[in-house]
Amino acid sequence: MTKKISAPETGICPERTNKTIPVMYYQAGLVIFIALIPFLFPSFRVMDVVAKIMIFTIVTASFDLLLGYTGILSFAHGMFFGIGAYSIALILFFAPNPSWVHIPLSIVVSLLVSIGLSVIISFFSLRVKAIFFAMLTLSLAEFAHILGVQWSGLTGGEDGISFTLPSVFNFNHSLGTLFHTEINGRLLVYYLILASTIALFAGLLRFIRSPLGRVLKAVRDNEQRTTALGYKTFGYKLYSIVFSSCTASLGGILFSMWLCYVNPGSVFHTAIMVNILLMVLIGGMGTLYGAMIGASFLIVTENWLPGLLKHMAAFAPESTLVNNLADRWQLYFGILFILVVLFFPKGVIGTIRSQMNLNRQAKQP
Amino acid sequence: METGGIMTTQTLGVEKSRERIKTRINMGMGMGIFLLPLIWMDTTTYFTLTVAGISLGMLIFLIASGLTLIFGLMDVLNLAHAAFFAFGAYAGAAVLNGFDSLGWISTASLPESLLYLVSALLAAGLTGAVLGIATETLVIRKVYGDHLMQLLVTVGVSFVIVEILKIVWGVNNEVVPVPMGFQDSFILWGVFIEYFRVVAIVLGIGVFAGLQFVLKKTKIGIIVRAGVENREIVKTTGYNISRIFTLIFAAGAALAATGGIMMAVFNQAVDPGMGDQFLIFALIVVIIGGMGSVTGSFIGAVMVGLSFNYVAYLIPKMALGVNFMIMAVILLIRPKGLFGKE
Repeated sequence: MTKKISAPETGICPERTNKTIPVMYYQAGLVIFIALIPFLFPSFRVMDVVAKIMIFTIVTASFDLLLGYTGILSFAHGMFFGIGAYSIALILFFAPNPSWVHIPLSIVVSLLVSIGLSVIISFFSLRVKAIFFAMLTLSLAEFAHILGVQWSGLTGGEDGISFTLPSVFNFNHSLGTLFHTEINGRLLVYYLILASTIALFAGLLRFIRSPLGRVLKAVRDNEQRTTALGYKTFGYKLYSIVFSSCTASLGGILFSMWLCYVNPGSVFHTAIMVNILLMVLIGGMGTLYGAMIGASFLIVTENWLPGLLKHMAAFAPESTLVNNLADRWQLYFGILFILVVLFFPKGVIGTIRSQMNLNRQAKQP
Repeated sequence: METGGIMTTQTLGVEKSRERIKTRINMGMGMGIFLLPLIWMDTTTYFTLTVAGISLGMLIFLIASGLTLIFGLMDVLNLAHAAFFAFGAYAGAAVLNGFDSLGWISTASLPESLLYLVSALLAAGLTGAVLGIATETLVIRKVYGDHLMQLLVTVGVSFVIVEILKIVWGVNNEVVPVPMGFQDSFILWGVFIEYFRVVAIVLGIGVFAGLQFVLKKTKIGIIVRAGVENREIVKTTGYNISRIFTLIFAAGAALAATGGIMMAVFNQAVDPGMGDQFLIFALIVVIIGGMGSVTGSFIGAVMVGLSFNYVAYLIPKMALGVNFMIMAVILLIRPKGLFGKE
């Protein structure tokens, strides 16, 4: 094996000096800030962006568990996200009179489907080489997209499905106002997303810091040696794949609940997968917290970049080329993607961490 | 990767011949399965579908061969292949549209049609080769030997190329003018066979034979295969291996691009997402045939093309699903694919 991507060390925390503020305070501050956002910013757009950032933080962090901690590249992560999104949409759409029971039901359904599919994929492809896994998942993800478009009797085809949430989560269901902000179903869904994000993120952190997570890192760094040490690496990889795809499908459920609408383009398309990849890479592979930075950067840019480019294109209204260049803002994401992979492979958090390590080494002679 | 390459070639001779016999038996059984559809259809339909299936298979082979060539020789899994395919389709379609605006397409006789198609193929191949050279020198060269980085970076390249394609040619589906001569057909044993299908089959077999010849019999093929085994030693003998790798990548991209224009004429339409749809076929074929084996992807492509056509006739909704089932069965029996080495 020639050079490998060295994902930054995360497992062993260096002993902290008394001067640094514990990470817990930062975490608590961030959670309180996000919880207050609906009251601080009355515009829906800010709330929408923050909710999507939270959802994609979860999806990206679970992808990071695969890519950064286990060293497996799966293109089916978007597919699992879509499975979650579609399971709740279909259940609430086709149920005769939807009630809150259908939400846990759809969670169970999507988890069962995700576990089943990821076990099947692993048994077929993990036996040979990691690259096989990438190929198989890519073709499966494309297949899922085609299925979503063509099986219009069930999925509504390209048009997708829109549905309403039951009982208290219904957007029209109001509980009165608090500090000039209406407490309605949408706000409750927002806090549901916040709570689930905290729970799932904590779960992921716990997962990678467990003995199992350490074995996964060993698999990533040198699979042969891990096998030689007596670990059955297949089983560990399987755990990682199942856990991360289940988390992704839960993220899909949250996404679907937030939008009350799904279509194949928004959950199954390759562009979603490319976005998730870019989020992981920008934040830093193998850092988990990088997912937050990647998701925030990408979703904020996605929301404001097209408008900005339109304004810039207005200076040259005649030129179709300029207008086309402004319309295809995804192009810049693609270029950014290549540049990040080639020149900034550690990502934001990874670079900061390795810099901090260097500083620490410089201090200790 | 160098040591891994040497180890695979040193398999024991006995095991090799045993493997070969096994493969023959399996292949015989595989052939038998393709007579199975005769139970549900008459021979004329079967024959028509077989011709259509083989020609579809040849088109898929054009895409898959480029993928497997790049993987087998350079150890790079190129996910930008679908983008080369789509770009080639658009470039070739632009040439055909140019001829059409001169009014040549709608009056073309068969030899003229062939001429137009060949020029479209050349244009597509050239575009593909240029794109391939650019991709290899700018991007891929920096990530040799690291599978994960290669996968990631080629995903990015694919995304960028498709976006450029949309900027140049727009996002909508477009009709591709098919030269008049190809809209005719001839009758063989009571079955109508379109000329274009024959062209596709001839081109596919030609590319297969050409690749085998170049890799096995020519000096450049020997250098390439030696370069895969051990780059450093080939370098010390004075060959510029990185230029050779660029050449392989360009050839693979050109194959994808020619596959693209052939598929565009076959379907009489192009759209920006067409690459993704056929990448599934190519990936299935490469997985079935074994990564890096040109023969494997030839056989895999024929299998996929045939089964797709038979099933599309019998149970239309299952057509793509059956290819996944074939892939699953083959992965269960031989996890490395029919002709896979590692």
